[in-house]
Amino acid sequence: MTLELHATPEEVMRAVDAWQEFGRARKVPERILFGLALALEECGSNIVNHALRRDARQTFQVSLEHTGTAVTIELRDRGPAFDPTRAPAAAAKADDDRPPGGWGIHLARHYTDEIRYTRQGDENILRLVKQFARAAGAQNPLPE
Amino acid sequence: MPLKILTLKTVGDKNLGAATVKLTGSLDTATAPDLERQLSPVLASQIKHLVFDLTELNFISSAGLRVFSMARKQLKERGGQASFVNLQPQIQEVFEIMKSLPGVAIFKDMAELDHYLAMRQRAHEENRQ
Repeated sequence: MTLELHATPEEVMRAVDAWQEFGRARKVPERILFGLALALEECGSNIVNHALRRDARQTFQVSLEHTGTAVTIELRDRGPAFDPTRAPAAAAKADDDRPPGGWGIHLARHYTDEIRYTRQGDENILRLVKQFARAAGAQNPLPE
Repeated sequence: MPLKILTLKTVGDKNLGAATVKLTGSLDTATAPDLERQLSPVLASQIKHLVFDLTELNFISSAGLRVFSMARKQLKERGGQASFVNLQPQIQEVFEIMKSLPGVAIFKDMAELDHYLAMRQRAHEENRQ
């Protein structure tokens, strides 16, 4: 399933709603459903706020895939090249004016098994993967 | 997923200046600006203690956490505090992931919060004597 979305916060939440409907229809466990909804919200918000600068005329794509043992959510945008996985991992304390990306990617990492960024032509491609077979509480390792 | 915001009347001694904000639904990138706008007059007042009742909040993202963080900072500057009560399990987990908002009190339920406010009230009165 692929959605074409405009670069607005409301469209990010439309993608989140679509994911939850997609996930519920496939009996994705509630905790994974919530976790990926949040990861999608954070990554989608980063695209809207930073890559596409909230220009509602610009669009980005969200694709949802379910294989039975894993879910993959892919986000594509044509903003400037930017790898959100290279953002420094957020420190534990939120006692500062940390830019949105720091918090968002930190949350997304917690709820996914893999976040992979690639650049193909003029597109940023971000893939979020969550395995069902992993033990509850397993976290995506932070970069060195 | 919409967000309903209900600001309840001041509770407790007016000198403590406490108010409760009940959130229902989703606090996310689309709805966080609404909360920020509605909190603005509350934070501009002499309110020292803001209680966020999250009983019916079922989704929160970093956009929402930033609004909480902003509220906490403003309250802290005047010797106050933000408290959060009745977090659903998935919301509690988000707070824990971020080790969110140091200096913020999270209460299991309103009874625990009432006890805390009563203790603060007694401490406030003792300081005045």
